[in-house]
Parts: sequence; C-alpha cells; structure tokens
Amino acid sequence: MSAVLEARGIAMTFRNGDELTNVLKGVDLALEPGELVALLGASGSGKSTLLSIVGLLLRPTAGTIAIAGERVEGLSEVERASFRNQRLGFIFQFHHLLPDFTATENVAFPAAAPAGGITAPMRRRARDLLARVGLSDRMDFPATRLSGGQKQRVAIARALMNKPELVLADEPTGSLDRVAAEQVLDLMREVNREDKATFLICTHDEHVAARCTRRVTLKDGLIDTEVV
Amino acid sequence: MFAFTVARRYLFSNPSQTALLIVGVALGVTAFVFITALIQGLAIRLTDDVTANSAHVSLEPVTRVARVLPSPDADVESVAIVSTFQRRQIRAWASTVELLRSQPSVAAISPQISGSAFLVKGEAVAPVAVTAIDPSGLDAISSISTEIISGDASLGADGILIGVRLAETLGLSAGQPVLFRTDRGVDRLLIVRGIFQTGLQSLDERVAYLSLQTARPLFLLPEGVTNIELKLTDPARARDFAAFLAEATGLRATSWQEKNASLEGALTAQAQTGTLIQIFSLISVLIGIASALSLSANRRRGEIGIMRAFGVSRRFIAGVFVLQGLLIGLVGAGIGCLSGFALCSWLATLIQPDGSMVLPIAPNEGGYIAVFVLTTLGAVLASVIPARSAARLDPLEAIQQ
Ligand SMILES: Nc1ncnc2c1ncn2[C@@H]1O[C@H](COP(=O)(O)OP(=O)(O)OP(=O)(O)O)[C@@H](O)[C@H]1O
Ligand SMILES: [Mg+2]
Repeated sequence: MSAVLEARGIAMTFRNGDELTNVLKGVDLALEPGELVALLGASGSGKSTLLSIVGLLLRPTAGTIAIAGERVEGLSEVERASFRNQRLGFIFQFHHLLPDFTATENVAFPAAAPAGGITAPMRRRARDLLARVGLSDRMDFPATRLSGGQKQRVAIARALMNKPELVLADEPTGSLDRVAAEQVLDLMREVNREDKATFLICTHDEHVAARCTRRVTLKDGLIDTEVV
Repeated sequence: MFAFTVARRYLFSNPSQTALLIVGVALGVTAFVFITALIQGLAIRLTDDVTANSAHVSLEPVTRVARVLPSPDADVESVAIVSTFQRRQIRAWASTVELLRSQPSVAAISPQISGSAFLVKGEAVAPVAVTAIDPSGLDAISSISTEIISGDASLGADGILIGVRLAETLGLSAGQPVLFRTDRGVDRLLIVRGIFQTGLQSLDERVAYLSLQTARPLFLLPEGVTNIELKLTDPARARDFAAFLAEATGLRATSWQEKNASLEGALTAQAQTGTLIQIFSLISVLIGIASALSLSANRRRGEIGIMRAFGVSRRFIAGVFVLQGLLIGLVGAGIGCLSGFALCSWLATLIQPDGSMVLPIAPNEGGYIAVFVLTTLGAVLASVIPARSAARLDPLEAIQQ
C-alpha cells in the first residue's frame, strides 16, 4: 500500500524584511497507513511549520508533497481548501469550536458547510463520533458549556468527521491537564487503531511521544532521528 | 443554505448587540421616512395652495412679435411688425373647447374674457381685473360661490361680483349699483350682486366677475374670448399637457408651473435639502452596519480560521457576513418603515387651533419602497468590506492568535 504522506526536500524560508529565516532545510518524511507519529523538536524548530505545510495551509519554499499518492503542488487555493476538507483532519492546541453551535453541529460542520446543511446521515455520524469520544451525554450542549477536555474531544471528533486519510494534530494536549491529556491521547490511539487513521502529532510532551508508534525529531531544519 | 444558518446563529449569539444594531438601522430609516414625508407634504401643501384656486393651464392667443425676416441680401435685414391693431382674442374658441372636452385629463374648462376696468362710485375710483365667465362655470377655476359673504352668486344680465376688500374701498354693499368703465372707454351701470371673501388678497382686492354676456359689449368682443383657463385632473402633468395643447391649438399655453417659477425653485431647493438629509441618514446606517460586522468578524477570527483550515470556502465565509448584513438591513428597514409610518401618521393628526396641520406631513409619501430597497442593498454593500476581510483571513495566522 502506498504512503499516506510522502514529503520530499521540504524547505521553508521566512522573510522578515531583509532577514531570512531558514526554518526547514530539506525535510523528508513518509507516513504509512495507520501510523501514529510524534513530531518532536525544540521550541522554534519548525514543527508547526512542517505540519502546516503538510496540511496545505502553507506553501513551502521548496519540496514536494504527495498525500495518498496525489501530488498537491499544482493545486489552486480553492482546490487546496477542498482537499483539506475532504482528506485531512486538524486538531489544534486550542479547540476553536464554534461557540454558537452544539457539540454535534460542531462535529458535523466540515461536512455540512460544503454540502449546504446538516443532513440526517451527517448528524448520525457526528453523534457516533461524539459517542466514541465519550460525550454521549453532551451531544446537544452548546460548545461554550463544555470543559476544556470535552472541547478538545469534540475537536477530535470534528477532525474525523470527513473520514480523513491523515490527521494533523498540533500540541493537542498542550492546553489540558494531565488526566484530560491522557484521555485525549488514549482516544487518538484508539481511533488510530480502529479506523486505521494516520496521525501526525506535534508535541513537546515525552508522555505523548511514548504512546506513538514512531517518533520523528526536527533539529536544525532537518529530521534528526527516526525511531521505530 | 448553511451559510444562512450560520449567519442567523451569529446574529442571535449576541441578541442585545444585534437588537441595538437593528434599532440603529431602524432609526436611520425612520429619519429618512420622516424627512421624505415632510418634504413631500410641504410640496403637496404648497402646490395645492397654488393649484386649488388658479388655473392649471391657460390658453391665450400667441403674442405678436416683431420678426426678423431672412434676406437673400446678407447685409439688409427686414423686420416685419405683425399687425397689433387686431384684437388679441380667440375667435374659434368653440372648437377649442370641443377639443378640450375630449381630453380625459381636463377637469374643468373656463372660456373667459379678461380685461381691465375701473369701478367708479361717487368720487372713488378703483381699478379691477375683470374675469368674465359663463355663469354656470363660476367655480370652475376658483371656488367663488361658496365664498360669498353678502348677496349671492347670481350674475344675471347686469350683475357683478366683487371681493370684500374692493367693496370696502368703494364702500359698496350687495344690491348697490356701481359704474363700470372699461379700458375701451365704455361705461355701464352694474349691480353688485355678491361680495366674496376668498382670503387671497389678490382676489379679494382686485378681481371682479361678470358674465360673458355682460362683458361682450363692454369689451367690444361680440364673439371671441381672450383666454381659456383649464383645470386638470392631475396638476403635476400641466407642463406636458400645456406643451401638447400649444401644439394642438396653435395658442400660447402656459402651465401653472411656468407662472409660478419661484415656487418651482423653492420646491427644488427643498427637495435637494431633503435628499442631503436622506443621504446622510443612509450613510450613517451603512457605516453602523459595516463597523458592527467588522467588529464581529474580528472577534470571530479564530472560528473563521478554523473553518478555513477545515476547507470551508471563502465564498461561504463571505456569504455568512453578507447574509448578516442582508438580514440586518431587511429587518431594520422593515421596522424603520413601520415606525416611520407610525410617526408620520401620528404627526399628521396633530392639528393647530385653526384646523391646519402642525406639520404638513404626507405619511403615504415616505419613500418607503425606495428606503427599503436602498437600505437593504446598502446593508449588503456595507457588509462586503467585513465579508471580504473575513474571507481573506489567513487560517494559520487566525488560528495561532
Ligand atoms: N510567518 C512567519 N514569519 C516569520 N517567521 C516565522 C513565521 N512562522 C514561524 N516562523 C519562525 O519559524 C520558526 C519555527 O516556528 P514553528 O512555529 O514552526 O516552531 P515550533 O517547532 O512549532 O515551536 P513550538 O514548539 O514553540 O510551537 C520560528 O523561529 C518562528 O519564529
Ligand atoms: Mg508549534
């Protein structure tokens, strides 16, 4: 089976006035289906930058990316947005739920927006996902009435809504306490095992890294070590 | 449409703020409606005052003028003086009246002999403007018979009706004889049949009514008339109709607007002032909407960023904000039109002690459709700026904040 993600020679240079910052200097990274990979590295090493590039939120200065065998360099902005919507899932450190919508509506949103509304099957899937993340009793709560950990679990369910091939998580437990972080982590592992969803998780946390199937470390703009 | 659902949720998410915004829009629209209804009401009152007691179109013979004749010899121009010995009169007035009768827009026709004369009573002499009409058409142009305060309106063969001021000047009362002397030097004794009081100084002081029959020998016009006065069903169309009549009859046709050019100027100036106020009230409404939506878009950067990250299209995001603008515009304009109408209707019921309106407001002329459409369209346009900035948010930047 082909790689879910195949990034080659990814370079990223930020320009701030006259000052150039070479954050990534030729990163090669491949993810196989069903992997749960921790992306480690010191603060400022370029983890978030790499994740954004892989997530089609940022165009690299150089390098090629293929997701599930499909090259993405040639895609227009509109096509990239549609690609993100259909094939990628995102979990950020801060949940960014839509405060005016219920948990179920938040989960269904990525499917509902392009389709023009929440259909019954979408609602059913959203509820299944919420049940999976242990929020059966909070499905119709407004997002604002959930605890931080609950919100992050809703965010995970939302990331899975459109059955993405690759889920990108940037410090998903960064704003949670130990217990909530454990729950979220277990959940991602479970989803990863049961749905064969591939995860790439940026983290500082050794705890998180220890639970992943593989760790990748960024150092000086390159992949430092790969430990299986 | 899902963008519509989102827009509605956003508006209901902060009900008091949305309510305040809508009240602001509604107030602006109310101001627009008020000023429009007031300006229109003033214009209607002024034109009514003018058109109620005067002719809407006057037909007269063409003024004879000296004409420069073209000459084959370039240096010599010959000037033809068209004869002025001929009396200025409409000889074929019967056929003109026939033509006018066939026009549905003509409400009243009054063939007249107009001239000047003097009334002599003992030592006192007063100039009068004579209007000689068919007695049955006495009220065709100005309502005279209802304004008689002494005597009656029956002109008969030797009767004359005069205004109250003139009667005072000459010390005349109904039933008394008075010597009538025309500018053609013809004298005749007439009887004052009635004295009228219209409240219009020019009429009460200067005008005397005779029957056509009586006037013919006095003004040496055995068959013609000097002018034909018309009332139209719609005074506003007088200008066009006058142009049509001038063409059709070959007579000089003057609309009431032409005779009251200064009124026209005043109305135009008034309308321009109104337009300025209307524009300002609309602009303030639109600025309110644009700034409220910009604030909202800014407050929701994080959410918008996450939607964009999840691949929600720019059009969708822009749509959410434009739809918010549309909803605010529709509701605000609707409420504003209703409250404007209510306000104007109430003001229209306020009556001064003399029975006239405190404000000459026309509640039905509030420009409702115009303000509704303009506000709604404007609200959509005003929301385009925040909608664009929301749609263009870079998802990464928005999320990292
Ligand atoms: N838009 C930008 N313009 C200029 N420099 C940037 C920009 N975005 C990121 N950088 C720089 O790129 C470097 C890597 O940033 P990045 O956010 O990827 O690090 P990180 O590994 O995710 O760090 P952390 O663990 O603290 O989140 C930093 O030095 C940062 O200052
Ligand atoms: Mg980071």
